[in-house]
Amino acid sequence: MSSSTTNRRRAYALTYMGYIVAALIFFVPVLFMLWSAFRSNVDITGSIFNIGTPLTLENFQNLFERFDFIYYIRNSFIIAGGSTILGLILGVPAAYVIARRAIPGIGFTTLLARMAPGVLFVVPFFILSMKIGATSNDALNFAVLIAAHLIITLPLCIWLLIPFYEEIPKSLEEAALIDGCTPRQRFMQVVLPLVTPGISVAVTLSFIFSWNYFLFALALASSNTMPLPVIAFNFIGQGSSDYGGLMAASTLISLPAIILTIVAQRWLVRGLTGGAVK
Amino acid sequence: MSTTRTITTPRGQRPVTRGRKSFDPVSQGTIPFLIPALVATVGLVLIPVLYTIWLSLTDQDIAGNNSGFVGFENFALMFQNSEFWYSLFVTLQLFIVCLVVETVLGLGLGYLLSRDVPGRAIFQGLLLIPAITASVAVALVWMLIYDPTLGAANQILQAIGLDPVVWLGSREMAPWSIAIVDIWQWTPFMALIISAGIRSLPSEPFEAASIDGAGPVKKAFFVGLPLLRSVLLVAMLLRTVDLIRFFDTIYIMTQGGPVNATNTLNVYGYRAAFIDQEPSYAAALQLSLFALVILIAAIFTFVRKRSTDVE
Repeated sequence: MSSSTTNRRRAYALTYMGYIVAALIFFVPVLFMLWSAFRSNVDITGSIFNIGTPLTLENFQNLFERFDFIYYIRNSFIIAGGSTILGLILGVPAAYVIARRAIPGIGFTTLLARMAPGVLFVVPFFILSMKIGATSNDALNFAVLIAAHLIITLPLCIWLLIPFYEEIPKSLEEAALIDGCTPRQRFMQVVLPLVTPGISVAVTLSFIFSWNYFLFALALASSNTMPLPVIAFNFIGQGSSDYGGLMAASTLISLPAIILTIVAQRWLVRGLTGGAVK
Repeated sequence: MSTTRTITTPRGQRPVTRGRKSFDPVSQGTIPFLIPALVATVGLVLIPVLYTIWLSLTDQDIAGNNSGFVGFENFALMFQNSEFWYSLFVTLQLFIVCLVVETVLGLGLGYLLSRDVPGRAIFQGLLLIPAITASVAVALVWMLIYDPTLGAANQILQAIGLDPVVWLGSREMAPWSIAIVDIWQWTPFMALIISAGIRSLPSEPFEAASIDGAGPVKKAFFVGLPLLRSVLLVAMLLRTVDLIRFFDTIYIMTQGGPVNATNTLNVYGYRAAFIDQEPSYAAALQLSLFALVILIAAIFTFVRKRSTDVE
């Protein structure tokens, strides 16, 4: 008895030692980013072993006062929000049908959408936006960006929702059928209220994935519609290495995702693997 | 709400034998729900892919002026261009290095995460932070770490008495520096899938091996690994698809340089379209990249199918 508890203690101690090593490797760069965001540029260019330097909000103040960062946060919200809402409007009913009946070719189509490299879509979208004049019209430019980001949010939304629909017992819909509900009524009044947890998962993950996505906005956004990742990338080119500003910007960009990791981690793996791992 | 219940038959009810499933009135009449998503997919995915194929067979400038059909000339140009072959080499180099290291480290970390200790679930969730952090933020923080003079990496090297390294500015080092970032970002993701796989393994084969006198190392290699094969293949396939399309971190940190040392096909395809402004040539590059992704995915699927057939 006592030897088994000491054995277990030893196994715990070994595992936790492994945890500490893993935490050092995988958390330190992120903590380094957060820490640097609150250090002055003078301190950042100094020694990293100088951990006692005072913390400051100067970098964040600069972002908002000199670079009007709130404007780019707004752009990110328009693009990620728009593509999330559209992804839901299209994906929520589609996932229901896919969960309820065998659609030939649907697996292949989603695999194709998952595997196609982003650059493949960028040129057609760019030429389209030139043709419709979206390079000089902000509203049109946002529309093009939202449509491009739909390539990310729509398949994600569908794949996340299918298992939620599959969990709903069919007997409920059969009862509704007997009560004379049309397919639309059955879906809106019986099924939809039951998948609200799934929808909240789909909303959070679609929003984050769209928020983080870099390539489409890099090629398609105008200077007025640039979202956060692109403006942060453009900061690099601005001569002096304002690392404090870059780290403050990185911190703001990462904030929604880091909060999400803590809140919805169970769904994260499913979202990242496109449904391959449950 | 009406109190009388009327039993209605759905419109268009057909004989029971129709379709692969037995008659299912519940899914009747739901196909219209699928149509908007289908239209969007055709518009957003299928048409751009077809357009890219057409683009690759014609000669077009970035403003959209097309001077007509040129057959396979863009592909011929591509195959004659040493930049393409070097880019293919870089793509495969980064893919193989990252995949092998992430799989090996992922197995170790995955084993660690499969042990039942208090706090396991929370730790496992927090480990996903690198994967979910925007790649722009990841690239920027690693640029600060890699900075030749004031970066943390060189400060640490010098503190322990080693020479500083030119992480991103030298042709020899840049691909490895990029690989380190990807390995850092995605190993926990691998580990999570693997740990889920380890936790779902049956215990009987391990017990049988113990009875036969196998030690822990033998059990891990000859019992555990073969049983994990299909989970490992799924995890590796997912990473493969992303590694072949590797773009964000590279484009932000080096833009493919120095002198093409990190110019993967994806970065090359982007630069050809938007910096060299040759969309038709870029289309040929992008299609060859797509073909490569499909080819490697097909190999994985084939291996996986064969390995499950054997079982």
